[in-house]
Amino acid sequence: MKKHIVMSMLLIAALLALSACTAVQPAAQQPGAAPAEGSGKLAQIKAAGKIVVGTSADYPPYESIDADGNFVGFDMDLIRAIGERLGVEVEIQDMPFDSLIAALQEGKLDAVIAAMQATAEREEKVDFTIPYRMTKDAFAAAQNSTLVMEKPEDAAGHSIGVQTGTVQERWVQENLVATGLTPADKVFSYERADQAALDVANGRIELLLMDAEPAMELAKQTGLKILLITESTAEGGKSIAIPKGASDLKAELDRIIQEMLEDGTIQRIQEANGLP
Amino acid sequence: MDFVQNLVTTFNFILQGVWVTIGVTLVALSVGLVFGVAMAMARVYGNSFLQAVAAVYSVIVRAVPVVVIIFILFFVIARFVNLSPFWAGSLALGFASGAYQSEIFRGAFQAVPPGQMIAARAIGMSKLQAIQSIILPQAVRLALPAWGNEATLVLKDSTLVFVVGVPEILRRAQQVSARTLEPFMAFSVAMLLYLILTLVTTQVLQWFERRYRLQM
Amino acid sequence: MSTATAPILRIENIHKSFGETRVLTGISLTVQPQEVVVLVGPSGSGKSTLLRCINLLSPPDSGRIWLEEQEITAPGVNPDKVRQRIGMVFQDFNLFNHLTALGNVMIGLTKVRKMSKKEAHDLAMFELERVGLVDRAHHYPAQLSGGQKQRVAIARALGMDPHMMLFDEPTSALDPELTGEVLEVMQQLAREGMTMIVVSHEMGFARQVASRVVFMEGGVVVEEGTPTQMFEQPVHERTRVFLRKIADMDSGGR
Repeated sequence: MKKHIVMSMLLIAALLALSACTAVQPAAQQPGAAPAEGSGKLAQIKAAGKIVVGTSADYPPYESIDADGNFVGFDMDLIRAIGERLGVEVEIQDMPFDSLIAALQEGKLDAVIAAMQATAEREEKVDFTIPYRMTKDAFAAAQNSTLVMEKPEDAAGHSIGVQTGTVQERWVQENLVATGLTPADKVFSYERADQAALDVANGRIELLLMDAEPAMELAKQTGLKILLITESTAEGGKSIAIPKGASDLKAELDRIIQEMLEDGTIQRIQEANGLP
Repeated sequence: MDFVQNLVTTFNFILQGVWVTIGVTLVALSVGLVFGVAMAMARVYGNSFLQAVAAVYSVIVRAVPVVVIIFILFFVIARFVNLSPFWAGSLALGFASGAYQSEIFRGAFQAVPPGQMIAARAIGMSKLQAIQSIILPQAVRLALPAWGNEATLVLKDSTLVFVVGVPEILRRAQQVSARTLEPFMAFSVAMLLYLILTLVTTQVLQWFERRYRLQM
Repeated sequence: MSTATAPILRIENIHKSFGETRVLTGISLTVQPQEVVVLVGPSGSGKSTLLRCINLLSPPDSGRIWLEEQEITAPGVNPDKVRQRIGMVFQDFNLFNHLTALGNVMIGLTKVRKMSKKEAHDLAMFELERVGLVDRAHHYPAQLSGGQKQRVAIARALGMDPHMMLFDEPTSALDPELTGEVLEVMQQLAREGMTMIVVSHEMGFARQVASRVVFMEGGVVVEEGTPTQMFEQPVHERTRVFLRKIADMDSGGR
């Protein structure tokens, strides 16, 4: 009995080791049938006639599901438009945001479009296209505020709320506090953005700096007004994630995105989905 | 009237997840039943190698969170067989449930009096025949109460298959609440649906328990 | 006439131990067709073990057994086939709890003898009639008295059409007033010519029905003979003492 337990343990260990080994191989085999040797990811997609794209459909206005069960939102419209230019069908698979990278790595998905930013951590595991939309931030104030803003630095000297650990918090610290424009005790860090919004609405603080889209949503709910939408406080943009090393796919998607940025297609889709 | 309208839309949307939840639960329970009974048989009647395999399966699978098993099966094993998220998720959940069910059935097998096996062998049944037609039917009856409990646990664990992208009740509630910004309504509907499913399951299993109670 | 005298069962020098405990230490016994052999002896003398060796439920460690001139202890013999020829009845009945009386008798017929449901049903009803329990056919074991349970167990064994029957203390788990119905059925079987080995301390049954009484002690046969010999003039002092003791208990109990 003892001996057998040891044996089965070893067997399991061997199986795990085996699966670990196979995991190292470029995981660009599925979905779709086994491709011809040497053909790239793009060729596989074209051969299959469809691109399987993962998203997390709980983030309007980028991606959500309407009452009839259709995937809607800016990212969804965009990826369908990209599919058209690629000449393939687009199959969308909904997953939790945290599962998307793993599914892409394991070849369960060909690409991920989920308002995702190319962080250094993520870039270790997958590749990203060029940004299809720069991140924008918003300054919000109470409805009765008399403040007028034309540039981010106009926030100088006013009490301001940010979310802990965000790029906006860092921007405020580096550009307003470190430069002496705003005293440190006028910067308030919140666990959650909606708490900050409530404090702005109640007049406890004057300003709130956060991601533009959720800010607009929050503003609607809590009766704030948006003073300024800007790219200069934000970092990077939203990109499509693709499997590591799929260079042909990256080149083609980059080309299409660039084209769409230039011909106004992306601008049009943004507006259709109520994005600034 | 807006509220009623919203409620109806929300309800209808989440309702479509009920069939997915039921499907996942049924597949997982059946797979778990097959695994559980087989492993319990290996544990109680197998040779020392089979006993060890079954014991290791039970210990390891029960030590690992179900969601991890679902992840591993979907991403690692499904690399060799291209399974849809529904099947990968359901099979993984069943594989996990099998470990718990193997413990339930092991206890049930051991609770069948040893004289039953002896009497079955005495009329010329092979060991396998005896297990099949004498021990198993009694063990199943003895296992019913604990199995019913496991069934409701699997029903609730079916929410976990969402990690591989299966749109069951909970995920549909998330989706609808992201759209309507009324999470309370969405999750209340989800809660109600789970409550109904659990109550129905419990009632059906209790009927079975009464119907097939074993008198000794 | 040599075939007529061929023994149905021949046991030669059987040994059986459970761990350190030596239960059978060289048993030999021959049973002729239609004989009723009653095994007596103090508890722990190895009577039940001997029965279980005979139908290979616990095969002997050494020694040989022939059933109808086939050596069943030989390698390659399928014990399941051997057991189909030997019916066995247990002290605590061991009826299948999830089946009715009818189901208990039928299951061996359908699963082992591969009869159709209809055939099995008819034969099972016939066997239940033999033990006088047709009206209890659809009762579950829990709904039957001890005596009825044991009669169902006998019917279950008979259904397999055994060539001989083993009874392991068939009445000792029964209330005294219920032993009669079981002994009656056994008596009837004996009259019909069934070969039987019975472990029992029912001295009345032994006197009336047994062709031979075998006294076992310490894993060996001490003495055997006709009931009259054994009860009236046993050779060994140990046999006399033991039989006196149960005869006293017997009469004292009634």
